[in-house]
Amino acid sequence: MLKINNLCAKVGDNEILKGLNLDVKPGELHAIMGPNGSGKSTLAAVLAGRDSFEVTEGSVDLDGIDLLDLEASDRAREGVFLAFQYPIEIPGVSNLNFMKAALNGKRTHQGLEPIKAKDFLAKVKECSSLVELDGQLRDRSVNEGFSGGEKKRNEIFQMAMLEPKLAILDETDSGLDIDALRVVSKGVNAMRSSDRSFIVITHYQRLLEHIVPDFVHVLSNGKIVKSGGKELALELEEKGYDWLKEPSHDTSNA
Amino acid sequence: MSVFTDKFLATLPPPTRKSERWKYSPITKLLNNEISISTEGAQGINGWPESVLPNPVLNLDAYLVVFKNGTFEPTLSDLPVSDGVDCIPFSKMDQSGSLKFSNGYHQKEWIGELNETYRQDGLSLHVHRNVKVDRPIVIHHLTDGINVASFPKHLIKVDEGGELNVVIWSSATDRSSGMYNGLLEASIGPNAMLSLEKVCNEGGKVFHFSHEHIVQERDSKLKMHTFTIKGDWVRNELEIISRGKGTDSVFNGAYLPLGTEHIDNHTTMDHTSSDCTSSELYRGIMYGNSTGVFNGKVFVRPDAQKTNAFQQNTNIVADRGAAINTKPELEIYADDVKCAHGCTVGQFDLDALFYLKSRGIDEKAAKALLVEAFLADVLSSVSSTELSTEIMRIYTERHGW
Repeated sequence: MLKINNLCAKVGDNEILKGLNLDVKPGELHAIMGPNGSGKSTLAAVLAGRDSFEVTEGSVDLDGIDLLDLEASDRAREGVFLAFQYPIEIPGVSNLNFMKAALNGKRTHQGLEPIKAKDFLAKVKECSSLVELDGQLRDRSVNEGFSGGEKKRNEIFQMAMLEPKLAILDETDSGLDIDALRVVSKGVNAMRSSDRSFIVITHYQRLLEHIVPDFVHVLSNGKIVKSGGKELALELEEKGYDWLKEPSHDTSNA
Repeated sequence: MSVFTDKFLATLPPPTRKSERWKYSPITKLLNNEISISTEGAQGINGWPESVLPNPVLNLDAYLVVFKNGTFEPTLSDLPVSDGVDCIPFSKMDQSGSLKFSNGYHQKEWIGELNETYRQDGLSLHVHRNVKVDRPIVIHHLTDGINVASFPKHLIKVDEGGELNVVIWSSATDRSSGMYNGLLEASIGPNAMLSLEKVCNEGGKVFHFSHEHIVQERDSKLKMHTFTIKGDWVRNELEIISRGKGTDSVFNGAYLPLGTEHIDNHTTMDHTSSDCTSSELYRGIMYGNSTGVFNGKVFVRPDAQKTNAFQQNTNIVADRGAAINTKPELEIYADDVKCAHGCTVGQFDLDALFYLKSRGIDEKAAKALLVEAFLADVLSSVSSTELSTEIMRIYTERHGW
């Protein structure tokens, strides 16, 4: 489904991704862990099409489409979804209008008619109950005045509404209490299917107790330095990252 | 005959860039033109251009009063007939019955004296005690012609307990040039309410100048909106004087100029009495090479204790070539007051834009959503949804969202 090959990206003069490779097959859930500053969120942003990062080398292929060639909105229409680490508040834009515009953007792209009001509301109801997002929050401005937990639930609500092919969850567990973590995880697990893939970025093994990964990768200094099964997460929890860290360019003599 | 004769210019000189009030809105280009008042009388529908409808807000159930190049058009108008409202153009009434105001603006400002000297017509609108006028009154001014000037002035008086909604809409055909110089004076009696919406949607190259002077008596309410949809050079001056206790003044505005358009909003809120509130919100998005000015004065006089005054001017500069000069001016002479103000100039929120795009909304639609959100606070307080919907529709059409 997704094939990332030798991906290099920088912001300004600062190289962040330095030849990253990753292969994600349909239905798989890959967890990406790693120390602060290793490039995890950059990877998420580059995949979603944030243009503050410059891709200098490599390719990203989603089912035969060169993702790097597309605008962020077109990537979303091709099925990429990013759940933000810090969801943005947009005063004055209602959550529902936002979702309607998003869904219809995708539908137009697929040559479909705009969704009927009745079908839309039914879908909203179904998806919001999945993450226990109450009616008031749905009807308010996008993320405005939402608590941290509500914002993250809203991300998963949006994911359920848009039914992506590839969902990237960027530290969705940060800022969540145990109950909210359970709700969010339940939402994600309900979305798992044989034709939908996930990349889950996290610092902590805790999330992976709820959302069980097929693979765990360690990202360090812009590259994946170790891959394994779900047991790797436990090992990391115990040992930390130091034993895996790639020497950074500054200290490397090679 | 040109209105810029030497004789006239000798009385009060036209403002130059040296004047603080006109520094960012020079009028040199206006003075270079030979402009004159139309000598045609009312022409009815036969003299009306096809490109503009006589009724600018078709969906709004309103009384319509139409002027073309400053001349009242009786056959296109639909003057209110309800009891308790006198709504008559000055040209149709004897002088003894007309309302009289004098704020001396014509003695202070060249542009005001110009109106005083060349005044054509205008509406005398008197709402009697406790009368709530059943429908809005839409005053439509059309400019159609080359180097044509119009000088209307309207007087509005709402007696105690009365209620009135007036929309002043100005249009101009694309071929038009010259000047629109319109004044308005209003007096809002105790416990009375006036809603006033001013919309400028002018094609062509017309210097649009307007000045509203509004006096509020005790416990009266004013709700004023100034929308600049389109206009080559527009200056809106608004002056509100709160003269009694417990008044409430809400005045909002929006402007989204394109190309080389120039838009200037000068507002003055003068609190002279205690226990009053005022709230001012102006929002603008500057596109292309447009230029803009916002100047908002708030006076809180020594007797105006317990005043609660709020002022905000928020601007987005959407393109590199555009510019806005914004300046709040607060003068507070009372000690027990609450005054908040803020002027900001920024760009589209790139984080918000990316967030919307990351959900499959293309850049254009995403910007449209953000603009709509930006304008929502201004549009939502407009008296009728028919009017706010129409304004948003024209903005949308004009900007191709």
